[in-house]
Amino acid sequence: MSEENANIEQAENGLLYKYNREMFYHFDREKGYTREIDYQISENQTIIKQSWDAAEQRLEGVRQRIIAGRLSPIAYYMEKALMEVPILAAYMEMSKWRIRWHLTPKGFKNLKPEILEKYASVFGIPVEEMKHPNF
Amino acid sequence: MESKSILIDYTHRQAGHCESGATSNLFNFYGHKLSEPMAFGIGNGLYFSYIPFLKVQFAPMISFRNLPNTVFHRSAKNLGVDATVIKKFKDPNAAMLALDRNLEKGIPTGMQVGVFNLTFFPPEYRMHYNMHNLVCFGKEGNLYHISDTVMEHRHVLTYEDLMRVRYAKGPFAPNGKMYWINTIPKELDIKSAVITGIKKTVYEMIKVPFPLIGVKGLRWMARDLKKWPRKHGDAKAAFYLGQILRMNEDFGTGGAGFRYIYGAFLKESGELFNNPELLEASDMMGKTANKWREFTYIGARNCRGRSKPEEDYGMLGNMLNEIATMEENVYKKLDKIKL
Repeated sequence: MSEENANIEQAENGLLYKYNREMFYHFDREKGYTREIDYQISENQTIIKQSWDAAEQRLEGVRQRIIAGRLSPIAYYMEKALMEVPILAAYMEMSKWRIRWHLTPKGFKNLKPEILEKYASVFGIPVEEMKHPNF
Repeated sequence: MESKSILIDYTHRQAGHCESGATSNLFNFYGHKLSEPMAFGIGNGLYFSYIPFLKVQFAPMISFRNLPNTVFHRSAKNLGVDATVIKKFKDPNAAMLALDRNLEKGIPTGMQVGVFNLTFFPPEYRMHYNMHNLVCFGKEGNLYHISDTVMEHRHVLTYEDLMRVRYAKGPFAPNGKMYWINTIPKELDIKSAVITGIKKTVYEMIKVPFPLIGVKGLRWMARDLKKWPRKHGDAKAAFYLGQILRMNEDFGTGGAGFRYIYGAFLKESGELFNNPELLEASDMMGKTANKWREFTYIGARNCRGRSKPEEDYGMLGNMLNEIATMEENVYKKLDKIKL
């Protein structure tokens, strides 16, 4: 409980995301509609953070499954790029089934070098890292 | 590539919503003072759909906005402006060439892009979201000048980066879509455009004979929301709720923000045509928007974890139902107004 309170306090004092200020509309019965430029308020920043936390959790789950030998490294980089199979298939210009096959260790082992290169370029990493992932 | 540099005298103004902001800025460039709410209202920015069987970012698809390019296309059509929309280029290089040609002619050009690879975009928003809009208004060597209404300032993008975001993949892929205004009449018939705009929005929100769109979709979502903790467990329910809230408030607009913009549109047109009923509807819309924002606050607190989730979700569901009724009243009122 105390940890949760600390989190809330932190979110209220220092905002998490301060990259860009956006325009917000407000309504008040006396003042009517007003516009102001400000950072996202802390409530919204919390829910944005929730989605990034969930992504991190998914990534950790995938990492564990790769270590256990049930998935190929492509799954890790796909998750890291927040992609899902249909999106990756569109970027790779391949069928979803082929991508799913490449996600298995068996399918990964027999990958042609040019396809591996294409994966690397989609993820924006060197090919060497695809073969020997460091996580 | 020739290194001729072009810079069109285009004013970047920040706005609440990317597309209506871009539309308003483009109209302003051609000398017509069309405010962002006006563009939003005339172009039917307001919308709601809830599609539980389609998953986006691992949660049900909830959309508070119309399909991409509706705002620009419809506001141009309703105002009788000659505008061009090219939906798709097969070849990315051809798409960039078409943009260059436009810039040489001095036409600021709007484009649909995906935000995942958009280098200047806030890192916290960089997901595979493909319905963003920006306007390109200049070129220097390899760099393009970009006005993005979400950002405070103007930015630049390299040729490769711009091509990458214009060809982002995934749901609603932009495929290099671009749009611009050719000629604009001296006098715009705002009144008839406003009437058409309101009629269409009312139709989309309460009259579509399909249960997942408009106010009906909102009610459906409220009903599902109550079931989530029992059906999916607390963690997943909180994540789904977070998705509603993210769609609701992300980018400063979404649900609540759009209601504010729409209310501002009703107020502006009410003042323009001296119509007290429109002003009243605008007040009602403002209250609805405030309720939406309250919903977000309560929901966000709920996402942080509370003791009795089932009660909380029930309360949130009831609140959504209340919002749905409030909105329905606004649209019913708008339906009866004769301008």
